[in-house]
Amino acid sequence: MASTTHPYYDWFGVDEAMLSKVLSEALGRGADYADLYFEHSRSGSLTLEDGIISRASSAVDRGVGIRVVVGDQTGYAYSEDLDLPSMLKAARTAATIAQVSTDEVPPQTLTQRGHADLYSIDRNWEDVGVAEKLPLLQQTEAFVRAIEPGLEKVTVAWADSDDRVLIATSDGRVIADRRPMSRLWCSVAASKDGEVQTGSSNVAGRHGIDWYTDERLKTMCQEAVDRTMILFEARRPPAGELPVVLDAGASGILLHEAVGHGMEADFNRKGTSIYSTMIGETVAPECVTIVDSALHPFERGALNIDDEGNPTERTVLVENGVMRTYLHDRISAKHYGVESTGSGRRESFRHVPMPRMRCTYMESGEHDRDEIIESVKLGIVAETFTNGQVQIGAGDFTFYIKNGWLIEDGKVTAPIKDCNIIGNGPAALKDISMVASDMKLDTGGWTCGKEGQRVPVSQGMPTVLVNKLTVGGVDA
Amino acid sequence: MREELLEQARTAVDMAKQAGADDAVVGVSRGRSIDFAWREGKLEKVQEDTSRGLGLNLYVDGRFSRHSTNDLDPDRLRPFIAEAVALTRLLEVDPFRKITDPKLYEGRQDIDLDLVDASLVNLTREVRTQWCQELADAASAHDDVISATSGVANAHGVSARVSSNGFEGASEGSSVWYGSEVTVSDGPTKRPEAWWWVGGSHLEGLPSPKETGAEALRRVLARRGATKAPSSKTTMVVDPEAGASLMGRIFGAMSAGAIQQKRSYLADQLGKSITSDVLTLTDDPFRPRMGASRLWDGEGIATKKRTVIEGGVLKTFYVDTYYGRKLGWEPTTGSPSNIVFEGGKGDLASMLGDVGEGLYVNSWLGGNANMTTGDFSFGLRGHVIRDGALAEPISEMNVTGNYAELLQKLVRVGDDPVPWSTFRTPTLVFEGIQFSGA
Repeated sequence: MASTTHPYYDWFGVDEAMLSKVLSEALGRGADYADLYFEHSRSGSLTLEDGIISRASSAVDRGVGIRVVVGDQTGYAYSEDLDLPSMLKAARTAATIAQVSTDEVPPQTLTQRGHADLYSIDRNWEDVGVAEKLPLLQQTEAFVRAIEPGLEKVTVAWADSDDRVLIATSDGRVIADRRPMSRLWCSVAASKDGEVQTGSSNVAGRHGIDWYTDERLKTMCQEAVDRTMILFEARRPPAGELPVVLDAGASGILLHEAVGHGMEADFNRKGTSIYSTMIGETVAPECVTIVDSALHPFERGALNIDDEGNPTERTVLVENGVMRTYLHDRISAKHYGVESTGSGRRESFRHVPMPRMRCTYMESGEHDRDEIIESVKLGIVAETFTNGQVQIGAGDFTFYIKNGWLIEDGKVTAPIKDCNIIGNGPAALKDISMVASDMKLDTGGWTCGKEGQRVPVSQGMPTVLVNKLTVGGVDA
Repeated sequence: MREELLEQARTAVDMAKQAGADDAVVGVSRGRSIDFAWREGKLEKVQEDTSRGLGLNLYVDGRFSRHSTNDLDPDRLRPFIAEAVALTRLLEVDPFRKITDPKLYEGRQDIDLDLVDASLVNLTREVRTQWCQELADAASAHDDVISATSGVANAHGVSARVSSNGFEGASEGSSVWYGSEVTVSDGPTKRPEAWWWVGGSHLEGLPSPKETGAEALRRVLARRGATKAPSSKTTMVVDPEAGASLMGRIFGAMSAGAIQQKRSYLADQLGKSITSDVLTLTDDPFRPRMGASRLWDGEGIATKKRTVIEGGVLKTFYVDTYYGRKLGWEPTTGSPSNIVFEGGKGDLASMLGDVGEGLYVNSWLGGNANMTTGDFSFGLRGHVIRDGALAEPISEMNVTGNYAELLQKLVRVGDDPVPWSTFRTPTLVFEGIQFSGA
């Protein structure tokens, strides 16, 4: 039996009758489908710089996005006022996409749905005061100063958010989610003989305050210091095509760029992805299995439901080298006649959903890390990254290495820094020759941008050898 | 509308003072935008937005914080501001954080920047749809086109800023952009894409939708058959759009914040030669119809025209009041407006003729720069330059170096910036640049 109340109805000042009215108005000119995406977001940040917590911010953002879909056409409008007349007006605007009245699809009776529980935290961020957060920043600074007393600068930044989402759809679903997010970031500047180097580390996820233990803070601080101090010894790698060993963890950026984006179904539906015709084909050696999953608890990419209210899942993109499944939202799933993979995501109520990644990683293989390093005569290890990008159709992808190592005669010999790596997706997949058994998800806070929309994602990787990528180096 | 927003901002400043703030600065904005996207002979997306927001800077007992909300209902705004003031009291005292000195508000120019195109109000659904069709027809005019998405977007916004120590200002602006993104087939699997969008505050002077769609198609067809050229050290010619992102990076290193935080390789370079002597850059906030033009900056400081680089010599930093106080420097302005490359000569064709051999870059792909040291490494696409003309397209290559060295290798500056650009980079020529490829 359907319940007619919901805690979030009060929160957004709506009731079931209002939702039904707005959905009816959205379908009023004839459309296949409409949905309402209510969002209330509270976020805050703190910055410690030059020894004091000198900046803070808070923000409230709320509204409803109204979407009307006719085939693969979308009408969209949002309202920051949540009264009925404002919402009806936005619904009429969104409905203008339907120019020809098609067979009328009436909105169905709304039924509340439940969902997975991947990020319940003891206390929501809304209920954690600034006074409790300040010691985290001060403690982080103290740890980093203790590790390396001579640092020129230490900056510690904090951000948290608490989002409430309520989705109502014309096919009769009402579903809600509460999404916490937090991040702690430490950045340092060091100088040596007049030379200055900067580096940073961060930890992030859909975690509560208890996750930020002293031990976790210390590990992060050590990373920030190590990544910075090594730069004084680091050089640029040689230029040209080289074997690249991707370190376990953050190297998942390669999968995100080289595979993930090209597997987003909107690009394939339009024929603009290099993978448009490759489902079912062998694209990589058998040791390669690549997954995009929403189900890893507390990761940035974890999602109980996607932003279209669909259940989420673990989607296998490449299984033992064979390309399997695109990442689908509602429109692409309908186009391909498959179920949505729960990949419809949006930045906020101001944006239309589209297929996006969640947590992208490669499954562990059978080798071990040392064995991989030993197999390389001249190459590099890629360790930390600051940027990645891809050309979906041409398949060219890049990622920028902030820290890494040179390998000579099977041994790690010297640190390297600041070089861009460029490759071609399908070629790089074929060039993967060894996969280690040490897969780990990166704990850093990655954000993915697509068509102007930013969403939080996660990525992971075991140690992997790619036989050949173009390394941006010196002295060709 | 301007007066209404000013009044809203004044009210919020009063609320902050009543809640116990020593000083407050409030910005209020309203905007409206309409986006059309067109694909395969029909509208793919129509989006219409009306938005608003309030931003608040608070100074309370020597402490500082910043807040924003889109819920402007006075019954909820008042407690939001009171809570923000209470939060600020929990922070630490920052002796360098003070509201902008009102002396810096003085000298505001009385110039009509002409930032609103009234004709855009009349942009009907029919006109937008017709432009989409014209863009799409021109962008799809080739058998190998797989997909062409075209779009028309325009917006109008008003904002007002009021401070508790006497600043008041309101501004209004419009914008219109249109263009196409085209994907074509290239051999059995590759599907290169390219886009071309044009736009600015006014419609007048922009290429027609037909010309714009045709340019997008020309750009993607030129990318077909791209290969990796061998690694080499050679001359690099950079097109105006790619040049803007290459040259834009150095402005980050000119900010007082980066310098005070030891994140700038330019920290001790004021008055010194940071580029070859062919480069002179002006920051001109008063150019009519340019989206980056302004009479006051983000802190309310009255804007001035400034020489940034003259004959290669760095003449100024971007100093806001906060980091200026930390460094003991006079504030200038915290961020650039329109950047004009002065005294250039020649367009792409004439420069290619003079260069003879080298590599031409017309877009970057990823990469990054470390402005603490100036080290950079970028992915790129473009063409081989042979016999003074563009030859085969290249991709999957990187260019790597250090800004301090790169900028001394700048040998030519053109006079062909994209007409509607605010960072007005022309074609640039650099000698002896390291490329990584096959």
